[in-house]
Amino acid sequence: MNTVTSGIKGLDTVLNGGVPAGASVVVEGAPGTGKTTLAMQFLHQGAAVGEAGLYITFEELPEQLYREMDAYGWDLKELEREGKLRVVSISPDLLMEQMLEPGGLFEQLVAETAAKRIVLDSISLYRYGNLSVREQRETFYRLRSVLKRHGLTALLIREESLSEEDKPAFENYVFDGVIRLRLKVYMEKYRMRTVEVTKMRGRPLLEGEHVYRITGEGIHVVPARSMVEDVAVLKNQKCVSTGLDRLDQVLDGGLAEGTVYLLDTNSKANYKYIMGSIVAKRFEQGETVIALLSSFNSPMEMTNMLAAHGISLEEIIEKERLYLVEHYRRPHPKGLSDYILDVSRHSNQEYREWLAQVLEPVFKKGFSEGRKFFVYYDLNTIVAERGKEFIRNYFAEETAWARSMGVTVLALCNFAEIGDEIASYLERTCNGVLRTWVDGCYQHIQVTKAPNGKISEPMLVENMEERPFIRMV
Amino acid sequence: MNEENQLQLQMECTIFFQENPYAMESRDGLAMRLGRKPEHLEATLQRLVSLTILERFGNGPRSIYRYVPPKITTETVVGWTSS
Repeated sequence: MNTVTSGIKGLDTVLNGGVPAGASVVVEGAPGTGKTTLAMQFLHQGAAVGEAGLYITFEELPEQLYREMDAYGWDLKELEREGKLRVVSISPDLLMEQMLEPGGLFEQLVAETAAKRIVLDSISLYRYGNLSVREQRETFYRLRSVLKRHGLTALLIREESLSEEDKPAFENYVFDGVIRLRLKVYMEKYRMRTVEVTKMRGRPLLEGEHVYRITGEGIHVVPARSMVEDVAVLKNQKCVSTGLDRLDQVLDGGLAEGTVYLLDTNSKANYKYIMGSIVAKRFEQGETVIALLSSFNSPMEMTNMLAAHGISLEEIIEKERLYLVEHYRRPHPKGLSDYILDVSRHSNQEYREWLAQVLEPVFKKGFSEGRKFFVYYDLNTIVAERGKEFIRNYFAEETAWARSMGVTVLALCNFAEIGDEIASYLERTCNGVLRTWVDGCYQHIQVTKAPNGKISEPMLVENMEERPFIRMV
Repeated sequence: MNEENQLQLQMECTIFFQENPYAMESRDGLAMRLGRKPEHLEATLQRLVSLTILERFGNGPRSIYRYVPPKITTETVVGWTSS
């Protein structure tokens, strides 16, 4: 669907590109929320991109608007002289009469100006008078039909009183979209302006409330969950798909090479499918995987997980594309024991030495052969077996080394279990954080930090019969 | 209504349309905007139409009046004060 740019900084991001062309969108809000400014900014932008606009005001006089908009540096009279805008004052009933009249004044007006955008300020006046609810609804349907007939992209201002804040007005059902402006009490003393697109037919949206400011240049929306992109990290970096479409979308293609991600999970959340899909994709890309096993993730579990993705564990182990690091003393399937790097008897000091003496040469050999590495490990195991101090002392060092060598790392961890302090330290140290949790009968996942600056909304995790066995909705 | 009052209303209407050149008003709507009685505007509007300062669209009480901008316009605001 084509979209037209709203001209409001940040709002196009929320609208996933802009206002759908030809749509009629209600802009609702209490007095003082900036509805008129937003609407005029939309027309001002139209004038800038060669789409003439009509501002139809029922109550306010054009001369007032000329003066008010001057504060933003918008010379409406000049735009009128250039034929890019027309501010029309008329009464609502006369407008409706003329809209329905073949060859009426409204048709003339659209033809004279070749308008592509229109603002009606405000449609609330159609609610007054002696009209029944049915007649009022019909009036709005007629209005929508006329606007569609002329192919106009319309913003329809609707006054909202505090008493009706929580129940949607029936206009909102009739028109294609609803943009809601609010002035919310924030931290008792302050007031925060927020905008929320509660409806937009046929468009995916950036859901939730987004803060906006009224600046000297008009309205400026700061989309929520939008963080500064880590340009340095992403520069020239390739992303490898996670095998999960929605997750790839949020991550702009997948996990960026040479970055460190954390998957926060708890025992209830079934994260093995997420891990399975990610690890399988790395093998598909020809990478070598170093996997640190956990008490749950045994070699047998690993074998089954890979088999479900059509990968034979024995085969890739023989090709030296998988190394399993084992912290637990337990029996292993026959033939696999030779390929398991057992560190279960190592003290912390010995483990550190082992990393340098045994594991580092594996990486070095691989690098010399042009291989790429993916490290996946369970931080809960490190906490349980080596202690929190071990993570505090060495995690940053290990991940710094991995980043510098272009190794991608995914670490599993349970934030609730390891405590706030370590959790926040890990969150800071990693480039990306994926959190998964269970709420009632549903599992959710959310990207709360990513190198591209994007943060997703909480997504539902749904099980599927076929690979990758889960999808995010 | 005497001639002086007629001229006063004529000036009020003209200034209104000059300031809001794309206003489309019925007699009653304009009366509300100006804070006058609709019946007092009847003759004034007829006169402004005959002078081609305004054009009338439609007939009867629902007629719509709109401004006919002069060919040459300036930014000068026409002022009016009562003496």
